Amino acid sequence: MLTIALSKGRLAEQAIELLEMAGYDCTAAKEKSRKLILEDPNTGLKFILAKPADVPTYVEYGAADIGVVGKDTLLEEGRQLYEVIDLGFGKCRMCVAGPKELKDGGLDRIPNKRVGTKYPNITRAYFEGVKKESVEIIKLNGSVELAPLIGLSECIVDIVESGRTLYENGLDVIETIADISARVVVNRVSMKMKSDEIKPMIEKLRQQVEIKNEMQDS
Amino acid sequence: MGNKFYTPDGFCDTLPEVCAFKKDAENKLRNLYIHHGYTEIETPGYEYCDIYVDPGFVKEEDLYKLTDSKGRLLCARYDGTIPAARYAATLAKDKLPLRISYIENMYRYNQAGGGKQSEFTQAGVELMGVSGSDSDAEIIAMAIRSALEVGIGDLQVSIGQVGLFEGAVKQMGLDEATQSKIRDAIMAKDSVTIDRVARDLSLSDDDRKTLLMFSESTGSFEITDEIRARFTDAKALDAIRNLEEIKDALDDYGFGKYVSIDPGLLGAQDYYTGMIFKGYTYEVGFPIIGGGRYDKTVGAFGRDMECVGFSLGLSLAITALMRQGLELEIPGADAVVGYDKGSKDARKTAITMAEQMRCGGSVVILDTSSETEEELNAFADENNIDTVLWFDGGES
Repeated sequence: MLTIALSKGRLAEQAIELLEMAGYDCTAAKEKSRKLILEDPNTGLKFILAKPADVPTYVEYGAADIGVVGKDTLLEEGRQLYEVIDLGFGKCRMCVAGPKELKDGGLDRIPNKRVGTKYPNITRAYFEGVKKESVEIIKLNGSVELAPLIGLSECIVDIVESGRTLYENGLDVIETIADISARVVVNRVSMKMKSDEIKPMIEKLRQQVEIKNEMQDS
Repeated sequence: MGNKFYTPDGFCDTLPEVCAFKKDAENKLRNLYIHHGYTEIETPGYEYCDIYVDPGFVKEEDLYKLTDSKGRLLCARYDGTIPAARYAATLAKDKLPLRISYIENMYRYNQAGGGKQSEFTQAGVELMGVSGSDSDAEIIAMAIRSALEVGIGDLQVSIGQVGLFEGAVKQMGLDEATQSKIRDAIMAKDSVTIDRVARDLSLSDDDRKTLLMFSESTGSFEITDEIRARFTDAKALDAIRNLEEIKDALDDYGFGKYVSIDPGLLGAQDYYTGMIFKGYTYEVGFPIIGGGRYDKTVGAFGRDMECVGFSLGLSLAITALMRQGLELEIPGADAVVGYDKGSKDARKTAITMAEQMRCGGSVVILDTSSETEEELNAFADENNIDTVLWFDGGES
């Protein structure tokens, strides 16, 4: 029996689609209900639907063997996991964004900046580790773009997909921190103790990802 | 002020049934270590933070800290190996090799998000002042025996060798930044990143495949001629020989079935210097055993010494056993002895009788509260005690 933790929402749907293409029966997971645990005794798969930020935790502690989660969450949570496949969907970028004036060195000219973000750990790691500067991090829970607009912070760190929300609010991408996409993560013990089930699954999913990538390239 | 009813975050009481099992396990382990010539030491519950932080073994924020009367920073015991290394370098006068064991509580403040205990018991042994594959195998065998002794039967041990990776990056001439990037990716079994880095650097197909071998390996891994042919660096070839010799020796111990080779095991940078291993079982998401060769650690305390050791997470192992279906028994008594509280003779007889029965190996409670035989019987019923003895003015 394998337990798979999915990030509720679009990512879960795409993950289920890919699993089905790889030959796994996911009827249980597609059931429209409010159930949080979806189990199919015939296939030996158990799905749990969790908040994205919690998926790495379930997998690190072994409550789930496998998880599908965005790289942004993995970077933020910093859990000890095996990160075995880049699924290629859910693509976006982790960026520093702010008013256009901050482009071309403008950002570096502001001392003691305040940074609004949902991702305090990524923000700290980037400013301290890469840019070698101290910043004041203001943890926000949504609509982060508001912060620089009303003077709560000088800039923000957030994921950017099309950039439309930023542009419509007079903001722009200043620096890119990392490319983000959905990843398959595996618990370190499950990888050993359940390798008979997990290794073939990884192989089949990889094949599907390759086929998809080739289709997109051509 | 309002916290007097609670235990601190990350700490808990060990209840009688768990405690009984745990102490029994500790006794078995202690016995095992004694019979293999490992002598137990107790190191201080608090150390100067410097022993962990100064040589860079542990991050400052992972330590439980307090200050001494002079304002110097102390920390609660974080592990068994570093204090043992300090002991070996500064106090141990014995002839080498030293065989040391410990069973102690460790304290770690690193559990963001909770769910893991900050206080837990580890049992471990260190074999100090000796190198070679046979010593490596002896320690892995001790680790396997420890797990079996505690009752962990479903055990898998993965063995790696840091020399393989070090040799590989050396023969490819990779710079430090790249090494560290690949190292992180190997530890995360992140083949995507390794593949990308190798292609960005225009490494040869062979080199790329060699790097991917580190991240792709799970489960059983055999050292074949094909793998041997990938390596030219002397350190890597030594590492391969070391792994083969260890595997061979473990077959002689009869433990071959528990072990497999995983070249992707690397451990914290610059800590392990040779063989490294981890032990896994079902139902807990973390390895229950960790160990390896650490030839540079004791040197940080001023005396160079080649060492190999392991620790078993006893608390974690017990959690695993309970989730695997182990039924813990609440320790009970075999007999209860009561007496007429008005009679001095009855009391004396009861005490003597209870003592005699204990000498015979029974667990006997001397009841000091029941006023009548009926009360004593009720007490025995409630507590599932089979044998009840009542002394009434000298008569049973």
